[in-house]
Parts: sequence; structure tokens; C-alpha cells
Amino acid sequence: MSTLELNDEWMKKLLFIAFLLLTLNACQKEKDYIFEVDPIDVQKDQIGKGIPKSTVEFLSIAYSDIFGSSITQNDLNRLSLLYLAFGDKKLLEDLLIKNMINRPESQLPTNAVMRADVAAFVKATYLKLYNREPNELEAYTLKKNIDDNADMTSVMVYYAMMTSDEYRYY
Amino acid sequence: MSNYIPRRSFLKRTAMATAATIAAPYILPSGRLFASSGNRIANHVVFCLFAGGIRNIESVDMQRGNLMPRTLSGAGSVAPSIAPGMDPLPNFSGQSLQSQATFFREFRYAQGPTGHFNGHSTALTGSYTLQDLSIKEAPKMPTIFEYYRKHNSPSQTALNSWWISNSLGPYPSLNYSTYPGYGALYGANYAQPLTLISDDGLNALSNPQLFTNTEISKVNSLRNFFNDSFSKSSQNGNAGIDNGLIDRDPVQAFLRQELINASNGVYADPWGVGTSMNADMFNVYFTERVIQTFQPELTVVNMQGVDICHSNFTEYCNSLRKADFAVGHLWETIQNTPGMANDTILIVAPEHGRNLTPNTIIDQYGNAAIDHTSDATSREIFCMVVGPSGKVQQNQVITNVTGESIDIVPTISHILGFHDAIPGGMLSGRVLNEAFV
Repeated sequence: MSTLELNDEWMKKLLFIAFLLLTLNACQKEKDYIFEVDPIDVQKDQIGKGIPKSTVEFLSIAYSDIFGSSITQNDLNRLSLLYLAFGDKKLLEDLLIKNMINRPESQLPTNAVMRADVAAFVKATYLKLYNREPNELEAYTLKKNIDDNADMTSVMVYYAMMTSDEYRYY
Repeated sequence: MSNYIPRRSFLKRTAMATAATIAAPYILPSGRLFASSGNRIANHVVFCLFAGGIRNIESVDMQRGNLMPRTLSGAGSVAPSIAPGMDPLPNFSGQSLQSQATFFREFRYAQGPTGHFNGHSTALTGSYTLQDLSIKEAPKMPTIFEYYRKHNSPSQTALNSWWISNSLGPYPSLNYSTYPGYGALYGANYAQPLTLISDDGLNALSNPQLFTNTEISKVNSLRNFFNDSFSKSSQNGNAGIDNGLIDRDPVQAFLRQELINASNGVYADPWGVGTSMNADMFNVYFTERVIQTFQPELTVVNMQGVDICHSNFTEYCNSLRKADFAVGHLWETIQNTPGMANDTILIVAPEHGRNLTPNTIIDQYGNAAIDHTSDATSREIFCMVVGPSGKVQQNQVITNVTGESIDIVPTISHILGFHDAIPGGMLSGRVLNEAFV
């Protein structure tokens, strides 16, 4: 038997023993630690929205949310054609919304209205754009975000929400 | 005899075992480590579908004169039977594409109905479809864009891959397939400029709210918070391909710039052809702007003006001249674009031909219109592979029946160096090796 073969045998044995030890150690039952906190299910998808808006639905709802009135059938047809003419729909939606919120006739709340009662703004915006009330974490986080950022505008909040995943569903 | 391993040997074995462990997950089905991009013939491919249904009789056979002087060599003047219906175009005295190309004079669209969508689908997937395709149905086999983005190494974003179509209808569906493991994730940026670069586009897209970088950062942070509360990505809906946040900005900036250019009249007559400007030229001009802005590695553009031939043969010939002008201009732009010049291969081919026998519609010049209903003549097309000397065989004409529509996808993948990385059995066509040096 050569030195090399002998060493291979020893290496194999050593590896097998190490593997066995690790496996046995890993199979020990994990202890259950219970801390003084009520168990709360924090999984996602408590919102219950599962149907993506169609193109026409998305466009007409976005128009209505920004301008406070219904889009005309002609305008809807024109926007739907534009939508077909570009492959990256998220990119196009983003550009459409940035254009809509920049138009003088948009009916978004002013910064003054938002700052006057941030909690009310948060609740109203969730209801308007997501069609539901915010949960406590959402209400707290968005309010804190607005309070802590003096340069956060109502337009920025609307833009972020209207380009989020949830806004694409109902 | 001692029982220890020499230190050098131990280190060598350990290093080899570690390398093998790390590399194993990356070995491709073909057995190669990563896809090879080192074997590229060129770094850019532009595939121009000279579509709408063109007969070899009017194109390469020049029965009504050389209607494609920028593409084909030959001095045949326009036949008197159609001459009165021709719009003026600038004279051309330069080098034809044929002189810089390998020209497959007798190419074939060999199987499947001679429908436009079937023809496009075949050219873009490298697979024949033997039945009429449903309108707006994505192809079942992967497109060249998906093969490129999935198998090219290093992988590239959609900024490097564009599909630009002359019309809507079913054509937006051709940027990705329903094939498992491929799909929108590997699709191309798709655009249909005639709709996009319009008054409606200008009104809806050209004047967005602009945010500073700090504002964008805060908006993104807010959006991430909203998305974290919701389990579904909008990618699960009908979001199409996704450029991602980083590439989104340059694409949006490009679209805005083109809309502003259009509002300033640039798109009305960018090539100085006056009222001869048509939809095919508009489409190719937008493609040139994409090429100048992004220098994509893979661009596919189509033209379809010649389909007027169903009702007007003379206008078909007129459209053929304009399509030829557009392809010539496209090649000039490629050669004047840093990063693309001398490193681009242009492939030109119709999707199918037209029937031998005309229908009953006679135009004002007394010429009979022609349909395409899968007779033998409607399967006869040409293909031209244009490129720099040293890469493409120059001025080579292959006169016998050689090559099919399904060979274009393998040929593009060969040029860009990822052909061998495509799993075996997915492509039934072959590389048009005759074209390359």
C-alpha cells in the first residue's frame, strides 16, 4: 500500500467520523423558549387582495384618484393604446403617474393639508388609494415618516403608494 | 515509509476540491463552465425583418427593375409599368449592402401558414408553427431575446435587447414566450413608436413630475415599506418585462427626449425625404435613436408597408423602395454610431413571400394585387447577412436553395457567442456558417 492510498483511507475515516458527530449533534431536539410576549402572526397577505387590476381598470382608477373625476372613454382608449405600445408596463405606469400628478388640474391634497393633521391624511390616503384603513403599524410608520421628514410632500406619498404593488391589485 | 501527505500535495488537493465544489453548480447542461462569450463574431446584431410579404420576383429577381438599390447590387431602372406610382427618394450611388454581405438568394420559409404573425414568430423563435396563431398569443417557444438574456454570459439587462414593431396587433406579444423557465424575465424592451411617439404620447408622458435624488431615495424607501406589507409583486400581474429601478431612469429619459424631439418636428422628416416619409421609415428612425442612445447588443425591427400589396401592387413596389431606403439608412447610422460601427452584423430577411398568381384587384396603373396563401412562391424569400470584412464573407451570393427562416435565431446566437449554451433540442435550425469568415 502506498503512502497516498493509506492517507486516503485515513482521510475517509476521519471525514466519516466528523460527519457522524455533526449529524448526531444536529439532531438534538431544539429547546422551546417562551418569552413574555403575546404570539402575534406577522405574516404578510392579511390584506386579502388577490386580483390584479386590468390595464383599463388601473388607468381609470389612477385617473380618478388623481383628478377626482372619471376619465372619458376617448382618453381611456388613448391611454390603453399607449400602454400596449411599450413592453415594460411598470415603467410606463410610473411615467404616466408622474405625468398625471404633475398636471395643474390634479386634485392631490396640499402639503399644508397633510401637515395640518398627518394622522388623518394617512388614514384618508390609505382609504382612497388602497381602499382600506391602515393597520396600526402602517399608520404609525407612515405618520412618523412624514413627521420626521420635513421635505416629504403629499405628492411623494401619493407617487410612492400609486407605484407600489398593492395599488396594482384589488 | 511515513504515513503523512506532503504539504504541497495536501494544499493542491484541497484547492482542487474547493474549486470543484464552487464550480459544480455553475456547470451548464451543455457541460461547459458558464456560457462562452469569448467566441463572438461581433458584439451587436441588428435583425431587420423586411416584412409584410415580399416576393423574390420583385426583390431579388428585379422583374420590375431594381427596387432595392441600397440593398441589392444591380442597375435595373424602375419598370414603366409602375414608375408613375413611385414617390421621389434621394438618389443613391454608394455601396450596396449586398457588396458587404453574404446573400442567400433562395432562402425559404418552408413550413406553416404564410401569415404575418406566423412568419414573425418563426423568425424570432427559430421554430415553425404549423397552425394559425391566435392573435396576441405569446409564442410557445422562447424568442431570440429570451435565449440571449438567459444564456449569454455575462447576462444582460433588457437595455441590451429591443424589439421595435411597425404596428400593434399581435406584435407586442413577441418579446417573450410562455415557455417554462423563460418568459418576461428574459424579454426584450418592446416599443411601437407610431403609437408611442405621438400627440397622445406627448400629452400623457412628456411632462412628468421630476424628483431630486434625495426625494427619489425617500420615495423608494416609502414604496419598499408599502411593498413589504403586501405579499404579491406587481410582476405577478400583467407587468410585462421589468427594466428594474436602475435602468428605468435612462429609458424614461429616452422616451421623454423622443417625445420632445417629435413635438419639435424631428420625426416628421428626419431623413429629408419630404412627403415620401412613411410608417416603416418612422419605425426605423426610432430604432436608430435606440441604437444611438443605448448601443444594444440585440435589436430587432420590422417593416410592413409592403403589405398594401393585397390591394395595390404599385404601392407595394413603392413601399419596397422606401423599406430599402430605410434599411440603407439604418446601416449608415450603425456605421456612424461609436460602439456599433464595425462591430455589428445586420441580418435582413422577409418573414414570407407572396403568391405567384395575383388576385382580382387592379390598381390605377393596371397592376394586379397579390395575396399570400402558402403556395410555393410565397415560401420563397431571401436573407442577407451584412457585416465588416474579416467577420462576414463579402459580396458572396449563394444562388442555390440554402437556409430557412428557422436558421436566423441559431445564427444570431452564434454571432453573439451563446449558441452552445442553448439546451440541445430547442432549436431545429442551423447556423448559417457560409456567411462567416
